[in-house]
Amino acid sequence: MTQHLTESDVRGIAEYTRIGLSPGEVGRMTADLNSIIDSLAPITEYDLEGVEPTFHPIGGLSNVMRDDEPVPGFTQEEALSNAPKQEDGCFLIPSILGEGGDR
Amino acid sequence: MAQQAFGAMSAVQIQEGLKAKDFSAAEVARGALDGIAAADGQVHSFLQVTEDLALEAAARVDDALAAGTFDELGPLAGVPVGFKDNMNLVGTRTTCSSRMLAGYESPYTATCVQRCLDAGALPMGKLNMDEFAFGSSTETSAFGPTRNPWDLGRVPGGSSGGSAAAVAAGLVPVTLGSDTGGSIRQPASFCGVVGVKPTYGMVSRYGVVAFGSSLDQVGPFSRTVADAALAMNAIAGRDPLDCTSQPNGLDFTASLEAGVEGMRIGIVPEFMDAPGLTPEVRERIQEAAAKLEAEGAQLVDVSLPNAKAAMSAYYVLGPCEAFSNLARFDSVRYGYCDPGHKDLNAQYDASRAAGFGEEARRRIMLGSYLLSAGVYEKYYYPAQQVRTLITQDYTRAFEQVDCILTPVAPRTAFEFGEIGDPTEMYLSDMFTISINIAGNGGMSVPVGLGSDTGLPIGAQVIAPAFQDDRMTRVAAALERIYGQASVAPGFADGKAGE
Repeated sequence: MTQHLTESDVRGIAEYTRIGLSPGEVGRMTADLNSIIDSLAPITEYDLEGVEPTFHPIGGLSNVMRDDEPVPGFTQEEALSNAPKQEDGCFLIPSILGEGGDR
Repeated sequence: MAQQAFGAMSAVQIQEGLKAKDFSAAEVARGALDGIAAADGQVHSFLQVTEDLALEAAARVDDALAAGTFDELGPLAGVPVGFKDNMNLVGTRTTCSSRMLAGYESPYTATCVQRCLDAGALPMGKLNMDEFAFGSSTETSAFGPTRNPWDLGRVPGGSSGGSAAAVAAGLVPVTLGSDTGGSIRQPASFCGVVGVKPTYGMVSRYGVVAFGSSLDQVGPFSRTVADAALAMNAIAGRDPLDCTSQPNGLDFTASLEAGVEGMRIGIVPEFMDAPGLTPEVRERIQEAAAKLEAEGAQLVDVSLPNAKAAMSAYYVLGPCEAFSNLARFDSVRYGYCDPGHKDLNAQYDASRAAGFGEEARRRIMLGSYLLSAGVYEKYYYPAQQVRTLITQDYTRAFEQVDCILTPVAPRTAFEFGEIGDPTEMYLSDMFTISINIAGNGGMSVPVGLGSDTGLPIGAQVIAPAFQDDRMTRVAAALERIYGQASVAPGFADGKAGE
């Protein structure tokens, strides 16, 4: 198996994707990802010179715009209805400037 | 009327009985609820049962029957329907079988669900799935696996395993699932029921929690092709809320009796000779092709030379799109929030680590890697180029044939825990994935049991884009040969209602 990713790389990806892996999980995840990336090799072995990419199965679509007319949307209450924490009609998060803390 | 197993009846039979006043819609709803309560403990297909919603809808159907307006209700009038738990429905939780969304209350209803309700369906509940649809066995559900009604020691397939198993166990006649790489067709094959993956753009994706936005498509499960046609008539069509949905004028019930005489049906030698295809599946598909030929179809060998690259293209594109779609779960607006953190990043890290299961974490991290600078050029861009080649393969094939017949899955249902290696699990979708990549339609229809395992096998009927009624036409011909899909043996003859 080719080593596409080191454990250090995987710790970096975990930080970027905001998935806190425990030290014990890093080794297993590194092995799994390397194995999966190995299986993707056929994609790198094709002669694709001059082949246009297809980013979407329905060709010929450009941005589809609706008329700029107001339509009913969520109320503030509905938009907040699944928020784990809220206060004064707003989503509540921990301080991002190092002060305060969780409420 | 005494204890009828309404879930084991077809939609067509239920509607005939309602019109003949043999029973009421309230009795249908109550009977299906009783059947679920009695039998789903063995299968675990339902995550929630929506008794109140079902009875309210039944009352509206009974009002229409009393007023003589039943025929105006729509193609699913009075039919119990279940929905995969990635489809929003107001009054339910939509969990995607994930701890991340365990408490998520739908604030709106998905268009595909709304269209079923508008067509008179009785909403019975929400169905188990692989977490966020990542899987081929329903084993990755955070709420426990669904069991295959044909053999409770085996998986129902996935990711729409609950949707397939509920139909196979005779709990409901129709369910909806979603298919990103085979997630409708493979469980339909494993559970011996009909499953339709429509052409991308046939059915609105609005309100269905996104996995791979250029690959996802919603479609029905049922035990009869006619029921699948009714469901397609209900859900297909343009939706202003999904800009990729397309208008279509197809009536799926119109061509069910048309037969296959004169149709050219493609056989793909690369698929039939694929390593990994079990002899019992090959045997059933060859037999199905021969029977169609006996009915007047012409069999034509067609080549899909680039389909072998579909698997690796999919496992590039799928995780990339999933990585992007699952970035929205931030523990702030909705979803699981790990308590007690004084720092926002620590809250993100802990919430996403605890909220997502192992396969979801793996795909998110893989997608992030594949889209990173320097890696994008090596995998993602070539995967989109390969997509062009695969689409061209299908275009060329459909110049020679009207539809294509292939296996759905290389084998019958496997045992729980039998496949632990993720890359081996991915092979379950080897015959279905290229269709999602190209975007056209594919359908699984039962063609008997395997000679080695005695378990159900599905044949896949593939049609050109937006010619999806060809699939139901060929499937109906196969159904006339093999008979309608039966309720799984352990659940037959009303056992689900006892």
